[in-house]
Amino acid sequence: MRNQTSMRLIFELSRSGRGSTVLPPLDVPEQHVQDLLPPDSLADAPPPLPEVAEPDVVRHFTNLSTLNMAVDTHYYPLGSCTMKYNPKRNERLSSLPGFLHLHPYQDEETLQGLLQVLFELQQTLGEIAGLPAVTLQPAAGAHGELTALMIAAAYFRDLGQQRTKVLAPDSAHGTNPASARMAGFQTVTVKSTRAGFVDVDDLRAKLDDSVAVFMITNPNTLGLFDQQMSQIADWVHERGGLIYLDGANMNAILGIARPGDFGADMMHYNPHKTFSGPHGGGGPGAGPVCVRRHLGDYLPAPVVSRHGDRFTLEKLPPKSIGRVRSFFGNVGVLLRAYCYLCTHGPDGLRRVSENAVLNANYLLSRVKHFLPVPQGDRCMHEFVASASKLKKETGVTAMDLAKRLLDYGFHAPTVYFPLTVPEAVMVEPTETESKETLDAFAETLFRITGETAELLHEAPHSTLISRPDEVQAARKPVMRWTSE
Amino acid sequence: MQKEGITVNEEQLLYSSSHEWVRLREDEGGKVATIGISAFAVQQLTDLVFMELPEVGRQIAAGEEFGEVESVKAVSPLYSPVDGEIIAVNSELPDRLETLGDDPYEKGWIMKVRLTDESSLARLMDYSAYQKQCSEEG
Amino acid sequence: MSYLFNTPEDLQQMLEAIGVGSIDDLFACIPPSLRLDRPLQLPPAMGELELSRHMSALAASNRCAEDTICFLGGGSYDHFIPAVVDALASRGEFYTSYTPYQPEVSQGNLQAMFEYQTMVCQLTGMDVSNASLYDGGSAAVEAVLMCLSATRRDGNVVVPASVHPEYRQILETYLINLGTQLVTVPTDDGVVDPDALAAVVNDRTACVLIQHPNFFGCLEQVEAVGRIAHDAGALLVQAFDPISLGLLKRPGDLGADIAIAEGQSLGNPMIFGGPYLGIMACRDQFVRRLPGRIAGQTTDRRGRRCWVLTLQTREQHIRRDKATSNICTNQGLIAVRAAIYLSVLGPQGLRQTAEQCLQKARYAMQQIAASQRFEAAFAAPTFKEFVVRDTEDRVTQLLRDSCQHGILAGVPLGRWYPQWQDAFLVTVTEKRTRSEIDALAKVLADGGRAV
Repeated sequence: MRNQTSMRLIFELSRSGRGSTVLPPLDVPEQHVQDLLPPDSLADAPPPLPEVAEPDVVRHFTNLSTLNMAVDTHYYPLGSCTMKYNPKRNERLSSLPGFLHLHPYQDEETLQGLLQVLFELQQTLGEIAGLPAVTLQPAAGAHGELTALMIAAAYFRDLGQQRTKVLAPDSAHGTNPASARMAGFQTVTVKSTRAGFVDVDDLRAKLDDSVAVFMITNPNTLGLFDQQMSQIADWVHERGGLIYLDGANMNAILGIARPGDFGADMMHYNPHKTFSGPHGGGGPGAGPVCVRRHLGDYLPAPVVSRHGDRFTLEKLPPKSIGRVRSFFGNVGVLLRAYCYLCTHGPDGLRRVSENAVLNANYLLSRVKHFLPVPQGDRCMHEFVASASKLKKETGVTAMDLAKRLLDYGFHAPTVYFPLTVPEAVMVEPTETESKETLDAFAETLFRITGETAELLHEAPHSTLISRPDEVQAARKPVMRWTSE
Repeated sequence: MQKEGITVNEEQLLYSSSHEWVRLREDEGGKVATIGISAFAVQQLTDLVFMELPEVGRQIAAGEEFGEVESVKAVSPLYSPVDGEIIAVNSELPDRLETLGDDPYEKGWIMKVRLTDESSLARLMDYSAYQKQCSEEG
Repeated sequence: MSYLFNTPEDLQQMLEAIGVGSIDDLFACIPPSLRLDRPLQLPPAMGELELSRHMSALAASNRCAEDTICFLGGGSYDHFIPAVVDALASRGEFYTSYTPYQPEVSQGNLQAMFEYQTMVCQLTGMDVSNASLYDGGSAAVEAVLMCLSATRRDGNVVVPASVHPEYRQILETYLINLGTQLVTVPTDDGVVDPDALAAVVNDRTACVLIQHPNFFGCLEQVEAVGRIAHDAGALLVQAFDPISLGLLKRPGDLGADIAIAEGQSLGNPMIFGGPYLGIMACRDQFVRRLPGRIAGQTTDRRGRRCWVLTLQTREQHIRRDKATSNICTNQGLIAVRAAIYLSVLGPQGLRQTAEQCLQKARYAMQQIAASQRFEAAFAAPTFKEFVVRDTEDRVTQLLRDSCQHGILAGVPLGRWYPQWQDAFLVTVTEKRTRSEIDALAKVLADGGRAV
């Protein structure tokens, strides 16, 4: 039960001299610190961290946790984030001591069990993608994108081709153009049609020999599968470019269609989304990248190889782009993904996507009558409704709807993304929700659209805080606590 | 020379299509442009939280980006309407962003540019043409 | 299927409501030629019990720091993790929530982020911290990118060879696409010679990145290096070891403009390299170029103090191709663990941990060097790790033999430093006992042959 008595910061609980001793006494002969280190390298005092007793720490952080909505406690239909159930078995099995306490510089001979997991994960991700060469190193989706673009840069450098541009649709995640810039490319935006697909006339007008990569999210951020995909891939390939698939929406097509089969040359996964995370309040994630075999030589190292029944970590191959992260990558996240994939098998994965798409279409069929979905009657794993009409008629915005949903115990959908839909309300139900939950959500949303604008503008009403002043936070930023 | 404190008549200013205004005065045989952003633009940008000023002494071309204004969730680049050298910036402005809305054509000026080329002036709009553009956008 | 809800009856009702005959009809938008016409070639599904057996067997086939004595380091450390950290961070409200886009229902995460940021500032003596990056390596590269943008210089970046070799490899990977040269300064004595560094810093240098204590465990002359950088109009980035700050002067007190670290030491298991924690803090003047999420304090409509994500215009979802970084995800849960860890330790706990690392590492060095075969490779003072030279030059065999005796004795340096095939890095944390250190010294002195 939530304890509402304290919203104090841990620093405000601090009392000088309070604290917990955690270590046993020193058991080696003690020497004067001043004799061991140059006196001018030493601080006068340790950093001014809070001084609190262990029970204080427990109550403080436990109470903080109760101020969060989470998948474990609430329906969380946050579009584009795939907030599905986070299986408890994955938490337990990824935390077995034989995984948890492995040092990254141990000898391969002492790591065979782990390397087998990572090797099999590489194989599995390659099979689902239809792209056989895999790196597990990137630490997040955006990091995977960047890795793939750096692979493309190295590949074209190797071919002696000067390709300076990356094309990305206007509906793309912001990470796409930002990653392109970091990989040294210039981004050119390709328009979407009213129906939400790539405007092929615009694409063809912008496609020339200076284009290195076309980045596409398919199914796209509107939750639609772009049927022009293989035609687009042909055009890009004819001009010598590569297709990069943003795998954010893989939850819609597991075992149904493979990016490698529909034209992609490179892609990343978001295992924290598609393979059940968890999301950890914003991370850690991971961003494995799969590429066609001829691009495999450029992957960052190390990758895991099998020689007979032994697994080894391959050193840097000559064409490798190098490293994008220290050590191996976010192994803890990868172990959970492996458990998830083992739990499902080929049929199970297909059923995941079938049910994700079924749930999304069912919810769409219930919502579209009172909140228009501009891009049509069907969707894949998510859909984007628009509160535009509502706003014109009553002044109620997408944000108002989002905030009011919180009062009814639902996490809000993603709002104001993608940028191409005004007053966007992006709903991704996921497959791990029941029809009853979807019904309750649709009914609540309907009920909210009938509430007064005054009530909604000030929502939420039942939470500890409401409508924090973001202008104040940005104008005079306070980003740490100070004692005065 | 125009004295500070005299109410500026916005109908006498020139405007760019990207919503910067320009006030011209003669100075030691050359033209100096005082530049700001229009009341319409400030209103469209909603609550401003941050702005970045250019460096004094920098040479700038018409159409070139010289700074940015930010609201909580948007960044808007500012484009120079003229060619020349930046000779002054309103350094108090970033700490008093409300001035941009309260007094956009006087205390809300952003920079002064000594023109090196006057050809870009021909591309600027007068008040009525600018009002027409605003009504189309609004 | 374990995690699905829909019964055959639900399915029928849902299909009817949608107005289609079957689930297949929902996929009609994918042209048949683009669909997979066979099942995925993957092993069949495992139930929970089967999976538990499978994973347990694989885990058991590894040798880990729990069933050996671990003296490995080099950026990943076997420090003690108080039970409180796991107990609190494993609450579902922390680990199954997401980025705090709706502050009203994310105050727990936002306040924890704000507390983490404050603790990083307290730890480093810097003005402002972000809410975390992926790992120490990505923090290093992001700091360098900040410097390129803040100084408007893209000529070169200067790095001593004593900076973590993997961080330098990552920098190499990133900088090649930006046309910026990475200049590496040799560190033959285990530390960088400020004069040698000064010789390569010039008016095209964006920054100097120094690690202190460095990859070899040695203390560098950070202030002297900082003066060289600043005199040339470049910035100083310091990579630090968070535990060392229980004793050593803070980056903010040494003149660093940006401080970065691998934060794994702060309450996180080694787990073969990740997930870890990229710590990054800077001086106020660079805050608009700081990558990653930042929690800021404000008030709500009723005047109550609360927290939100702030300065979002820095980030990719708004600035898109003009963003200085593409970072979206942070390491929220790992940052929460670090905040819990630092709260439990407090200033005295951190000092005690740092002192024990120092004392035990020095004791270990003396015990190992007591054998004629080994000597300390460098004369510079060290913190919790040190490089040992094997005068018989049989490091690979020695370490393998030690492992057979249950001791992970060190990290061979030859893979990154070909000139030091005869050297290995030994790390001693507060967890190691005198008898474990004595066992290490003995197994090494015996050439790995017996304990």
